[in-house]
Amino acid sequence: MPNYFNVIFICILLALCSNSLFAQSKYEMEKRIKEEDVPTRALHFIDSLRLVKKVRWYLEKGFGRSSIEAKFKLNKKKYSVEFDTTGSIEDIEVQIKWDNLQPKSKDAITNILKEDCKKFKIRKIQIQYLGSRAVLLEKIRDKHDSMNNIIIRYEIVVRCSETKSVALFEYLFSETGEKLSVSEILIENASNLVY
Amino acid sequence: MYIKGLVCFFLFLSLAFSSSTFAQSSYQIGGLPAVNLNYKLKKGWTLNFKFESRHLFQRDILNAESDNSYRYVLSDYSLIGAKKVGLNSRIAGGYLLRLLGDKIVNRAIFQYSTTQNLSNLKLAHRIVFDQTFSQNETPEHRIRYRLVCEIPMNGQSADLREFYLKVGSEWLNSIQDSKYDIEIRLIPLLGYTITEKHKIEIGLDYRASSILNSNIRHNYWIALNWFIEL
Repeated sequence: MPNYFNVIFICILLALCSNSLFAQSKYEMEKRIKEEDVPTRALHFIDSLRLVKKVRWYLEKGFGRSSIEAKFKLNKKKYSVEFDTTGSIEDIEVQIKWDNLQPKSKDAITNILKEDCKKFKIRKIQIQYLGSRAVLLEKIRDKHDSMNNIIIRYEIVVRCSETKSVALFEYLFSETGEKLSVSEILIENASNLVY
Repeated sequence: MYIKGLVCFFLFLSLAFSSSTFAQSSYQIGGLPAVNLNYKLKKGWTLNFKFESRHLFQRDILNAESDNSYRYVLSDYSLIGAKKVGLNSRIAGGYLLRLLGDKIVNRAIFQYSTTQNLSNLKLAHRIVFDQTFSQNETPEHRIRYRLVCEIPMNGQSADLREFYLKVGSEWLNSIQDSKYDIEIRLIPLLGYTITEKHKIEIGLDYRASSILNSNIRHNYWIALNWFIEL
């Protein structure tokens, strides 16, 4: 009897999988890369910081675009510096705490999240600095006191609950707390860990 | 770091516990191929159909001469329905049919699982209550806890066409005929994400059963798992 079951099962399995195995997949990934594979301009930017701690380099491939990211710790803060594939700097992100935000920004962000979610919990906040290479280099060295020529944004990961559902969202806010964009973070399938 | 330490401690404890119980033992070596079909339904419901069979390659009972002949042992067919109850947690219930020679074994399964996405690894906790029924045996009731972590071999998550390590341990407590026993499982597996919908894993599924009895059984299964998202 087991053999009949197995043969039937294998036939059903092959029929079900013949399409999905060769179907086009969405392509979004990040991959650790070696220093040798990093564009020279990006490497020079990070080298000029004279970091003591190790720098991890990643290649991120998204929907039609790729970028190079350097991750490191500096003054007990987590930094992420993003470059395009030619090595031109795009932005600097620093992980911060909710209390580090200006009270006005906090109020504006809280009001928006209260409108969007029945209940919410902030999972991660990164302050994003955008500007020229020279200005960002000074900023990361903590020598750039003036905020002129620097655009500040907040990237916030929020757990947002509705009446019958819960999801994770990535919000991008301006310095004053204006909502610039919001996108749902797709939770990776974990059936191989559960079953 | 705290969670990584906890995982290592838990795995070490499992290994130490199982290896310290080798006196008066028997062993089995075999293969454990499994196929998992997962289907997403509406409103946070998912279905999991699993087919797993056991094939014995070698066995040795209480240091007697080992038997090296191949033997097909059993086939398991299970269907589990799960409902999302939190961002990363699910409650589930299902049924398993085991074909063991001419014998049919039935098992009711209830489980709660939750996963944690940490910066460089994924952790999954699973608690299962199951009851096994068969014609000539009294029902067996089990409560089991499994901790599994997925460590990407490259980058911060196991992306497409990337390898990952899956390491886990499960502690099973069973009661049958008023007799209580423990089984410990260890699973070091190497996985590969073929496409968004297909993952394969190969490695060892080590099980030390009948630990509280005098005759401990060590099972070394070569596990081959195929996960398919429909």
